[in-house]
Amino acid sequence: MATSVTAPMVGKILKLEKQVGDTVQEDEVVLVMEAMKMEIFVSAPVSGTIKNILVEPGQSVQADDLLAEIE
Amino acid sequence: MGRKEYQERLNELEQKVRGGEPGATRKQQDEGKLTARERIQRLLDPNTFLEEFMLAQSQATDFGMAQKRQPGDGVVTGYGKIGGRPVCVFAQDRTLLAGAVGSTHAEKISHAIRSARQQGIPLIGLYDSAGARIQEGLDVTKAIGSIFFENSLTSGVVPQISAIMGPCIGVAAYSPALTDLVLMVQGSSHMFITGPAVIKEVVGEEITMEELGGSRIHSEISGVADYTARDDSECLQTIRRLLSFLPSNFEAPPPRVDSGDSPNRLLTGIEETVPDDFRRAYNVLDLIRMIVDGGDFLELKPKFARNVVIGLGRLDGHSVGIIANQPMFLAGSLDADASDKAARFIRFCDAFNLPLITLMDVPGFLPGKQQEQKGIIRHGAKLLYAYAEATVPKITVALRKGYGGAKLAMCTREMGADRFLVWPAVELAVMGGEGAVNVIFKREIEQSEDPEKTRQQKMKEYAEKFSGPFDALSKQVANAALRPDQTRCELIRSLDMLLGKKEERPRKKHSLMPV
Repeated sequence: MATSVTAPMVGKILKLEKQVGDTVQEDEVVLVMEAMKMEIFVSAPVSGTIKNILVEPGQSVQADDLLAEIE
Repeated sequence: MGRKEYQERLNELEQKVRGGEPGATRKQQDEGKLTARERIQRLLDPNTFLEEFMLAQSQATDFGMAQKRQPGDGVVTGYGKIGGRPVCVFAQDRTLLAGAVGSTHAEKISHAIRSARQQGIPLIGLYDSAGARIQEGLDVTKAIGSIFFENSLTSGVVPQISAIMGPCIGVAAYSPALTDLVLMVQGSSHMFITGPAVIKEVVGEEITMEELGGSRIHSEISGVADYTARDDSECLQTIRRLLSFLPSNFEAPPPRVDSGDSPNRLLTGIEETVPDDFRRAYNVLDLIRMIVDGGDFLELKPKFARNVVIGLGRLDGHSVGIIANQPMFLAGSLDADASDKAARFIRFCDAFNLPLITLMDVPGFLPGKQQEQKGIIRHGAKLLYAYAEATVPKITVALRKGYGGAKLAMCTREMGADRFLVWPAVELAVMGGEGAVNVIFKREIEQSEDPEKTRQQKMKEYAEKFSGPFDALSKQVANAALRPDQTRCELIRSLDMLLGKKEERPRKKHSLMPV
């Protein structure tokens, strides 16, 4: 079952650190957001492979929006 | 029978109790768990356990209980020493009557808590129980009620530490919740008020014990657990480590532990650890480990409300509680959970004479509908209150920024900090530049020929006024400027001056903490 990576808060996607197919360790940074004038690191909640990335740099997101999926 | 015969029978009985039931002991071992007696042995200094009421047993007779009674009644209690200092301890024994709580069992626990309070020594409870022994009816809830009462009365008198090392379910889960620190063991410990069977019956939801109240739930979501251990052994070692930071009771100073780390040590690599650029996040744990003696920092609730870091460390051998914004998560802003987490920790430190070291780098309270609905006003108030209430030495270091109310919630001078120190490139203001300029110069910006240019111009002026340490130093907001590489030695020098602090508060029955 895929595990969701969600936006921790409202903000903008700055850059993607991982691509679909990459393996990640738990707590490793998947992408960087910008919020409250700061870079926000969004990390993998579990170890696995990136199955899906649903956002691109520049895109605005709301808190709890689905950003990526890890399998 | 004479003295000799009675002695022999006593020996036999005690031998039998110590041995436990072989079948049940094996089951415990198969689950990767230690038995109650093994746990006590690992927790305490060698040969210091002084057992109490080993042969106490249930007096219940209903539902065939008279035939089932066992000496000890499923819990081992007594005194012992940790790091040479006395403690009281109880360990529920899953191998005897499933560790179920009967009234004798509960009375033994109540006695241990009361003894800890009267002797002024820490209490350690190791929980592993099938729950209340319902065959004993009202006697059980009555006896469990006494445990809650003793836990509550003892709160703030001596440290109370609970380790959940198996099930701790139903009403019994409130006993650890009334204590100061809760540890859980990954995989084998569970805490919940109503179990999966009742949930299925009442609401038709299917849920496992792990999903309902496993260590992950309580360490990441509910915030009940302060520490999650890999196994029994690590859990017991961590209790010993925790106690090494704590005094035996509220009237004693915490033990001083010499680590050999020089009080004059300068911090190296600050520029890489805490970037000058406010936009860039960093891991504040790296800075904390640089500051404390020997890099030894015991973080509490590490996976709950990760936007604030709390934990115990030492400065020149003196135990301190450290509270820091964590820019790695939610930009280090304060939300409802982070406020709650830090407020509870501050009160714990204040109760047990641990000075508070606060590292501030906070962009604000987390904005949004969700936070307002979650009660950020109520929870944020706890944090303000806890800092104001604390009478231990309080030292705050402003690392980079502090805006508005969130700055106050990280203990400024007005909120009672004894020393408020600022790093050179600090920005302390009522709010961040862009927001402030949009309010103050709203009309001017709108009416200008090039609004964006005017906005930029005003932001530059605002930054010139509020960036850097000078405004804070001239207005006595800060006591002194601090060179980042001297953070450790200056904290130690400050602490050395403040350790004798005594502060009287207005007389009253008690305050109304905004819980």
